[in-house]
Amino acid sequence: MSLRKSLSVLAQDRSLFVPAALFAALIIGVLLLSPRLFTVNGLAGAILVATPLILTTLALTPIVMAGRGSVDLSVGPLLGFINVTLISWLVGNGITSPFAVIAWVVCLGAAYQLMQALIIIYVRIAPIIVTLASFLILSGLNLMVMSRPEGVAPDWMLSWGAGTSIFSPVLLLLVAAFAIWAIMRRTSFYSHLRMTGADERMAYTSGVQVDLIRIVAHVLGGVFVGLAALSYTALISSGDPTQGSTYTLQAVTALVLGGANLAGGRGGAVGSTLGAINMFLISYLLSTFSFGTVSGFVTQMAFGLILVGSLLVNVFLIRRQAAN
Amino acid sequence: MPKQVTVRLTEVAKSFGETRALKKCNFEACSGEVHAIVGENGSGKSTMAKIMSGVLNADAGEALILNERILTPLDAKRIGLATIFQEVLVADEASVLDNLYVGCDSFFSMRTSTEERAREAQALLDRLVGHPMDLKATVGDLPLSVKQWIVIARAILRRPKVLILDESSAALDLDATLRLHEEIDRLRATGSTVIIVTHRIAELVRIADRATVLRDGVTVGQLQKHEITEANLLALMTPADRRLSEAANTSGRASQGDRTIVLKASDMIAQRGGAPFNFTLEAGSIVGVAGLDGQGQDAFLRAVARILAPFGGDVHIRSEDGNEMAAVHSLLDAARLGIVYVSGDRKREGIFPQQSIFENLAIGIYRRNLGPCGVIRKSELRKTFAREVDRFRVKMGSSQNRITSLSGGNQQKILIGRAFANDPRVIILNDPARGVDLGTKRDLYRELRAFADRGGAVIYLSSEIEEFLGFADRVDVFHGGSVFRSLRAHEIEEEAILAAMFGQSKAEIVEFTTERKVH
Repeated sequence: MSLRKSLSVLAQDRSLFVPAALFAALIIGVLLLSPRLFTVNGLAGAILVATPLILTTLALTPIVMAGRGSVDLSVGPLLGFINVTLISWLVGNGITSPFAVIAWVVCLGAAYQLMQALIIIYVRIAPIIVTLASFLILSGLNLMVMSRPEGVAPDWMLSWGAGTSIFSPVLLLLVAAFAIWAIMRRTSFYSHLRMTGADERMAYTSGVQVDLIRIVAHVLGGVFVGLAALSYTALISSGDPTQGSTYTLQAVTALVLGGANLAGGRGGAVGSTLGAINMFLISYLLSTFSFGTVSGFVTQMAFGLILVGSLLVNVFLIRRQAAN
Repeated sequence: MPKQVTVRLTEVAKSFGETRALKKCNFEACSGEVHAIVGENGSGKSTMAKIMSGVLNADAGEALILNERILTPLDAKRIGLATIFQEVLVADEASVLDNLYVGCDSFFSMRTSTEERAREAQALLDRLVGHPMDLKATVGDLPLSVKQWIVIARAILRRPKVLILDESSAALDLDATLRLHEEIDRLRATGSTVIIVTHRIAELVRIADRATVLRDGVTVGQLQKHEITEANLLALMTPADRRLSEAANTSGRASQGDRTIVLKASDMIAQRGGAPFNFTLEAGSIVGVAGLDGQGQDAFLRAVARILAPFGGDVHIRSEDGNEMAAVHSLLDAARLGIVYVSGDRKREGIFPQQSIFENLAIGIYRRNLGPCGVIRKSELRKTFAREVDRFRVKMGSSQNRITSLSGGNQQKILIGRAFANDPRVIILNDPARGVDLGTKRDLYRELRAFADRGGAVIYLSSEIEEFLGFADRVDVFHGGSVFRSLRAHEIEEEAILAAMFGQSKAEIVEFTTERKVH
């Protein structure tokens, strides 16, 4: 029943068609070229590696859905900032209790996004400027907190990064994030969010508290960044001041691959997750070929090409629909 | 049911920069009545509606709805006021149902279940639209008329104590308008206040219990039901000096002698589904084009100027030497053959807001003032600029100031100057006098008449019927996508145009307006 329902959702929401088709194609590719992914070890590793990207994309989703072209460029460095402060401020000072760590990552992410939202809304600066400034400031700040990769994750977290079991705490993080999303989806906040993104004037004149919706969208995004930072820390088991920043562009790519509209109003957890998984599968698939030292560049190029391709397919699909 | 005052505006004023949209506005509406706010374009009706619904806040005076001050649309929603705005505000990405219930819930929790909503919405939409609707359909795929119904249904579903309709029937045909009126009657019967903002006199005569008339931002009078007649309304809407001046402004018609056809459109299909029609434009004449919104007149003008390709038919213009007709196939053809287009939508299709007044006028004539190596000859441009500014008596500071420093009327003068600077043979104006003051209008009429007397030809679309009176040599009225009736000079009068706009003969429109008075 639930499968049937989700299939009908796919059929109705045409923005999910392209990501789903790409996903299926990539799975077939992996099956043919490198079926090792579908072993326990393979899947466990995949979940471990893909989770930070999935969660970062999920963090962008509500912010982008709220419209005004507010793609949050700061998510990557923010993830890095949470990671380095966790390692050098908390663990460095002997604070390692899981409760404190989780509270720190979630609250820091939420607080930062709250501040950013307030600047965007009440100082009335274009979101792209604010988040670009954020990106630069945080990138520098991260290097001030920690000048090079160092430190060790709390002991209880070390086993998370082993990647030997599918049902690891990292998967739990992912499930927790989806649970938050699922609950949020059932509130009227979600429909208000979509309406605000689709047509802000309409939402405002209909009595939607547009500003408040934006703030909550950012805070929700911040919570997801916190969870992403936690999974990222588990993945690298230490602190790294620079690598986090690369997540910004990857997450934006994943978001678009997942069928979200950067202008707002369209998007969702399913699409974003599919987009992020597709990104992972693409790089996984490419790693089975040996490009030698240039493999990193080839992956980047492939991301770009597939992004353009999927957007083109989308355009043609929608045109065809409109013509019918 | 005892009548209570639900809406009260006292001495309300509102300005937008230089423009004083509302100067002194007093208004009162009661429960269980349909109260109309009437006035010409630009008299401040929409501003008044926006203040009542909390979208705008008054600069001075007090606006009380059910004894409360409304500062945001959220306040309005809370106390039970719903507004249907002029623009069709829908979220294209979302479903019909989501669009209907936007803003109905509190911040996190939903008030009613989805099933209940669907049932309620289905019942209402079936009644309004007249055919079954799929509530899950994406709104972006639906035609404009259905979107309009969604906006109307959204407001009615709130069960408002006060409902404001701001020109909401503009996109509806007669049959649909009657269905809307039924719904309004139903709301009135339950004790709601319905405020309709309109300039469609026929409509309000039929449905309103009381009417308040606005003129230049001032409420000039209130009419009780038995007083609401076309004559009374027009008398209040038009200032005395204006009626005089308009009579004096009758700039004379084209001479009856030479009637060579300069432009001919044959088998035009301007709008999808419209019937093909022919159109001719004679040298020295000014042809008015009228119609309710969306009846194809706008598309027709664009097609003649080749801003949009028509769905069928072609346009020919007499060549410069006067011997043959040349086909107009593209925007470039139109420009080359001397057709210019002036839009009344200054913001979107007229001005370059970041550029100076000078550049805004000169932009159209750079190409014809090129010296060696394609260098623009500034001195020539300055001469043309001075000539046009003089011709239209534009009030301005330095020509290097941004065009946005001018008032709307002066901006429009610059845009029309841009058209004149091209030495056109045919000028097409798409509602150029929208939001423009009377003095500008008069200058515009005079210059267009002078242009026609020099042998030019003018197509003039207007949403205000009065503009044609004493000005146009012929008025073509559009209905259902093509010319419904073509009125000769002696037939041009307000009722005849209005009737044709509704696709009816004059006798029928009189009946339509009196039907309600009989009850």
